[in-house]
Amino acid sequence: MTARIAILQLPGVNCETETGWALERAGLEAEVFRWTRAARGLRDFQGYVIPGGFSYQDRVRAGALAAKSPLIEVLAEEAERGKPVLGICNGAQVLVEAGLVPGGGRVELALARNRMTGRVGYYSCWVRVRIEESPCLFTHGMAPGSVLPLPMAHGEGRFTGAPGHMASLVRSGQVPLRYADARGEVASRFPDAPNGAEEAAAAVCNARGNVMAIMPHPERALDRGATARMMNGKWSAGAPGAPAADGPGLALFRALHGYLVEA
Amino acid sequence: MKRTAERVLQAWIISRADDPEAVSALGVARKADMRLADLRRSRLIEIRGSGRSSSEAQTLLHASTQFYNPHKECCVLRESGSGPLPDGDHVSRVAVWERGDERRSAAERWWLHEAGETVEVREATVWAITSQPESAASAVVVELAMLRDARHGLLCNPWSQEYRMLGGAEPLPWISPQTNPS
Repeated sequence: MTARIAILQLPGVNCETETGWALERAGLEAEVFRWTRAARGLRDFQGYVIPGGFSYQDRVRAGALAAKSPLIEVLAEEAERGKPVLGICNGAQVLVEAGLVPGGGRVELALARNRMTGRVGYYSCWVRVRIEESPCLFTHGMAPGSVLPLPMAHGEGRFTGAPGHMASLVRSGQVPLRYADARGEVASRFPDAPNGAEEAAAAVCNARGNVMAIMPHPERALDRGATARMMNGKWSAGAPGAPAADGPGLALFRALHGYLVEA
Repeated sequence: MKRTAERVLQAWIISRADDPEAVSALGVARKADMRLADLRRSRLIEIRGSGRSSSEAQTLLHASTQFYNPHKECCVLRESGSGPLPDGDHVSRVAVWERGDERRSAAERWWLHEAGETVEVREATVWAITSQPESAASAVVVELAMLRDARHGLLCNPWSQEYRMLGGAEPLPWISPQTNPS
């Protein structure tokens, strides 16, 4: 038994192929759902991924136009019914602009331009993200405090909101992933905290835990051999394991499989 | 190095061709039942502290890739807050910029290197909105400007951006921190 996941391909999205590989490797059936199809067709799927890229060329603001798409309207209805929705990078920007995270319908956050020491603009590197206590289904079964290395690549990834709002989301478990330093502590400065996000948030989910917006790219870390040389511990270059063995990013997709198929 | 504290040069950068960003935004706004007849976009650059003449400044702006591409865009320079604006008549305008990130440090470094002046360069986007005749223009502008949820608002996400309605004659600068109406 498996579950069908729709990968929303909005115009300008460019990570749909590797996202499909990630889902299939986790045991799920993946289908690219282009924006030209009737939105109601999305209701036939058990879960959804909005992949990375530059939907609508980032016109007006990253994710702003896609958030108004009829596809996202259907997605919001299905998320309300409890179906899982994962937004990666530009997909995360779409979810934030649509008010699907942290949830409730109103837009409560922004993914603003990166703030970095000594540089501006787009930034691409490997980062460490720490698992936090959370109801999020995409990190279900992962030990709080454990660290995953993931690649990130964005210019607007700084989670921000009203003063104190991100801190309250941390307290309520709606920040399932936070940037971490080499010791596994929550990152406080660049480059461990790579974009200046409040509370070092790398991902935010809704209160129910079925919708998650994540800025790093787990679908680009499917093979163990692809992890960056800078990583230590389990994911270091010298640790045992074949290059093609499961990489750190696959854990999130396996958690989705566990939620949909094994539960 | 010198600096003229109060003087503000305002450069309006306008696309020579149809602007796909404005076309897309107009389409989204119309689908959301906002009563718009037209929507246009300009980039607004304010240079504070330059002692260069208007023609010298125009030449500097043209010479650098930091400000605009003269093959695709034109630049209209203003030195005061009065007088006609270059993006059309009978429109309502709203300027949107990144809160705390409106400065253009690379452009400031370029200006220092080329003109020998320490200046502050800020950038915003100006949306020129033409509402349908039967609609109240100010209500349409506010509705379009402030993002509230998936159905309402578009141009400004208030958690990372600021917006300012541009009236008639106003002293420069226009890009300055303020509190958005909630």
